[in-house]
Amino acid sequence: MSLIDDEDNTPFETSNTSDLDLKLQSSIETLTQILGPIPSLSSSQDSSLTLLHDTNLTQTISTHLKLPNSGAGNNNLCRWLYDTFQSSHPDLQLVVLSFLPIIAGLYLPRAVLRATSLAGFEAILLALYAHETTSRDGQPITVSIPDLSNSSLYHESKAPIKNKAVELNMTIVSPSLEPHGTVRSTRRARIVGVALELYYKKIALMPISSKIEFCKFCLVWATGKEDGDGEDSVGKKALSGDQEEASSSSNGEHGVDGSKEKREMKEELSEEKSWRRVPLPWELLQPALRILGHCLLGPNRTNKELTDAALAATKSLHARALQDVDSQAILATGSILRLGTMASETSPELDHTEIRDYMNPVISL
Amino acid sequence: MSESQVYDEVENHSTVREVCANGLRMETSAVEAKLDEGNIQEAESSLREGLSLNFEEARALLGRLEYQRGNLDSAVRVFDGIDLHAAIQRLQPSIAEKRSSRRSRSNESVTTVSQHATGLLLEAIYLKVKSLQKLGMIAEAAQECKSILDAVETIFQSGIPDVQVENKLQETVSKAVELLPELWRQKAFALFLLYSGVEANPPSLASQVDDSYVPKNNIEEAILLLMILFKKFHLGKMKWDPSVMEHLIYAFSICGQASALASQIEEILPGVVNRCDRWNTLALSYSAAGRNKVALDLLRKSLHKHERPDDLLGLLLAARICSEDSLLAFEGVGYARRAVANAIGQDEHLKGVGLRMLGHCLRKQAKVASSDTERSHLQSEALKSFNEAIAFERDNPDILIELGVQYAEQRNSNAALGCAKQFIDVTGGSLLKGWRLLALVLSAQQRYSEAEVVTDAALDETAKWEQGPLLKMKAKLKIAQLMPMDAIETYRFLLALLQAQRKSFGSPGSHMVQVEDDNEFEVWLDLAKLYSRLSQWKDAEICLEKAEAFKPYSAAIMHTEGKI
Repeated sequence: MSLIDDEDNTPFETSNTSDLDLKLQSSIETLTQILGPIPSLSSSQDSSLTLLHDTNLTQTISTHLKLPNSGAGNNNLCRWLYDTFQSSHPDLQLVVLSFLPIIAGLYLPRAVLRATSLAGFEAILLALYAHETTSRDGQPITVSIPDLSNSSLYHESKAPIKNKAVELNMTIVSPSLEPHGTVRSTRRARIVGVALELYYKKIALMPISSKIEFCKFCLVWATGKEDGDGEDSVGKKALSGDQEEASSSSNGEHGVDGSKEKREMKEELSEEKSWRRVPLPWELLQPALRILGHCLLGPNRTNKELTDAALAATKSLHARALQDVDSQAILATGSILRLGTMASETSPELDHTEIRDYMNPVISL
Repeated sequence: MSESQVYDEVENHSTVREVCANGLRMETSAVEAKLDEGNIQEAESSLREGLSLNFEEARALLGRLEYQRGNLDSAVRVFDGIDLHAAIQRLQPSIAEKRSSRRSRSNESVTTVSQHATGLLLEAIYLKVKSLQKLGMIAEAAQECKSILDAVETIFQSGIPDVQVENKLQETVSKAVELLPELWRQKAFALFLLYSGVEANPPSLASQVDDSYVPKNNIEEAILLLMILFKKFHLGKMKWDPSVMEHLIYAFSICGQASALASQIEEILPGVVNRCDRWNTLALSYSAAGRNKVALDLLRKSLHKHERPDDLLGLLLAARICSEDSLLAFEGVGYARRAVANAIGQDEHLKGVGLRMLGHCLRKQAKVASSDTERSHLQSEALKSFNEAIAFERDNPDILIELGVQYAEQRNSNAALGCAKQFIDVTGGSLLKGWRLLALVLSAQQRYSEAEVVTDAALDETAKWEQGPLLKMKAKLKIAQLMPMDAIETYRFLLALLQAQRKSFGSPGSHMVQVEDDNEFEVWLDLAKLYSRLSQWKDAEICLEKAEAFKPYSAAIMHTEGKI
C-alpha cells in the first residue's frame, strides 16, 4: 500500500510556485482553525521556510502534540500533519518532519503502555515510512569498506594493482523496505527507525529546537524517565512554554483555552510520569545514534543547549547499552560519548603548531 | 589569545626588539625600516654585516622578524629567497663526508654543524608554512610542509647516529608532523562527511582511475579518509590523534562493520594506546562480529589480576560470552560475581545486569551438572539471581523473559506464564520471542486452543517474512489438537512462504539459504510423519523424497521410512 499518491518520487523537490503558495495558504488556514490564532502567522504572508523556524508556531504545535490522547486517530492536529505531509509541498513536508522527534518520542513509550489510541501518530509515521520507501525504491542501503591496497581519489597505492575484483567488506546498514499499511507491533521499531532515517537526511535543514527535543526523548527511551530530578523535563518545558504564550496573548478567549490546556497538561504530566523504557533494537538505535552524532559533533556543536542535551542522551544510551551488554551499541555510544566529552573539555582556540617563542622580542639564531 | 592581540603586544615591545647571533646583538629598527620600504636585500646585507652571518642565516632571521611583526606577505617573500633544494644538496655531502671519515677528530663538529644548519633551514621553511597557512594559502602551505619532512628524510637518510638530536631541529620536525595533516584537511573533511548531515556529492566517476575505489556515499567517503589517516599514524607520518580512533569506531560500528573495525584496531602499534583499552575495544569488536572465542581470549588478558581485574565492562562482556557455552559457564560465574561485587557507587545501575549474567551462567552450568543434586542446586541459584536482578531493573524485559525460560525449564509453568505475559506487556508485544514463550508455555500446560489464539495474535503482529517459526508452531498445535488436515494446510502456507523467501533473498550457498534449507527439510519430514499417521502412504513417500533432496543421508528420514 502506498500512502503517497504522487507520481513524482521525490516530492521534496517538486515546485510550481503559484500552486505551492495556494497549498501553503490553505494549510495555514486549516492550522489556525485547529490551534486558534497564532500571533506571528496572522501578519506573515511569506514563504513556508519561515514557518519552519517560527518559534511561536513550533511552541504551539509542540504543546498540542504533548497533550494526552494527542495521538488518537480523530485528532485534528495529527490529521493536519498527515495531510500537510501528503500535500507534497517540499517546505511544508520539512515542517512536518521537524515534529518527528516529538511524535516518535511520545509514540514509542505510549505504545509500550498501550494506554491510548495512537492511530493519528501511526498515520504520520507510516506516511514518512512510505515516503522513504518510495524515494529509495525499497532498496537496502549498504556500506562497503575499502581495501587500502587499491588506490582511491585520496591516496595512491604502491602495491601493484590486482586484476581480480577487490573483495569488499559489505554490510547492510538499512535493509530493504516492504510497504506497510498498518503498524504491526514487531515492526514498530523499524517503521520509526526508517522515519528517523528520513529525518537524518534532512537534518541540516531542521531547526535546533527540534534536535533538542529529539535528544530529550532519546533519554526517555533509554531510561524510562525524563531528566533525573524531574527539573527541566519534557512535559514541564511544554507547560512553561504554554504559560508564556497564554500570558503574551491579549485575546481573552484564547487565554481561557490556555488555562484549560494547562490543566490538561498537568494531568498529562502525571500520566507520563509512568513512562517505561522502550525496547531499542539496532534498527531503531542506529538512526538515533546518527542523529545524536550530528547533534554532538556536527555543525551546531557550538550551541551549548543542544550539545548538553545530546551528551545527556548519549550518556543514557551508553548506560543502557552496558545494561543490555550489547557490544555494537557499547562501541557506538562509547565512542561519541568520549568524543563529546573531549570536545567539551578542550579549549577551542589553541594552536599547538605555533612556534615556541613567538612573542619573544629577542630573536636569536 | 587572538592573533591581533599577539601582534599588538609585539608592536608595543617594538622598541626593545633585537636580534642576536654569534655573540653579537643588534637592534632591529634600522632593518625594520628597510623592510617596510620593501627593500629586502638591503635589510639582508645589513644583518649579514652586523652579525657576520651567511645568506641563509640572514634570511632566516629576517623572515622570523617579519613573521613576528605580522607582515606575513613580506615573510613569505623573504623565505622565498631560500632555495631549499640547493640547500639540501649542500647539506647532504657533509653527512656523507662524516660517515666516510668516521674516526677522524672532526667527526662530532661536522655533525653538529650540519644539524644546526639543517635546523635553521627547516625552521625557516616551517615559518613559511605558518605564514602561508595564516594567509589562507592552505594548499601551498601543505606542499611546503611536506617538503620539510621530505628534506629530513633526504638529509638524514641513515638516521642521526650516536649524537643527540638538536632541540630546535627536533621541535621543528615534530611541529611539521602535527601541522601537515591539519593542512591536508582530511580529518576535517572526514568529520564533515560523518556528522554534518549534508549529503555531499560523491566524487565523480570521471576523475577515477581504473580499479580504484570510489566511495558511493558520505559515510563510505568518511571511512576511507579515516582509514588513510589511521594508516599514516602507523607509518609514523602523523602524530597520533586519539579522536581519530574514536571517530573510526563510531563510523564502523554505525555501519555494522565490527570485524573490519577489529582489523583496524589490530594495526595500532604497541605503546600507542593503553593495552587494556585496546584489548577491551578489540573484544567488543570481535564479539559484535560474532567471534566470541577471540573476544574472550582478549578479555582474559585484560581481566588478569595484574591488569584491570575489576573492570566492569570487561567482566560483564566476559560473563555474557561464557553464558552462551555450558563448558565456559563455570568461568562465567566467576566473572559475573566479580561484576556484581564491583557494581558500586556510580556503577550501581549495573548490579542488575551482573546478577542477570550470573543467573545465565548458572543456568548454563546446570546443563552439564554431574549429579541431580548439583543440577537442582544450580538451578535454584540461577532463579535466585534472576529474582534479585529484577529488583534492580523492574521494567527490564530481558530479565522477565529469562526468568520465564528458567521457570519453564524447571517445569514451573504457572510462574513462566506470568513472566511471559508481563514480557509482552512491557515490550508492547514488539518482540517475537515473548509471543513464542507464551504459546509454548500454554501448550506445555496442554491449553492448546489458547496457545493457538496467542499464535494467531502473534501472526497478526508479524510481517510476512518473519512468520515462519510461528506457522510451524501453529501446525504443531493443530497436530496436538488432533486436527491433521488443518496442520497440513498450515504446513502448505509455510512451504509457500519458505519458497517465496528463497526466491527473493540470497544466492545459493549463502547462510540464509542454508537456514531455509534446514527449515524446508523439517517441514517435509513433519508432513511425511503426518501423512503416515493418516495412512496416506503415497503422500508420505513423496514428502520423504522431497526431504531427501535436502539431506540425503538423514537418520530421521530413514527412521520415518522404516515406519512406513
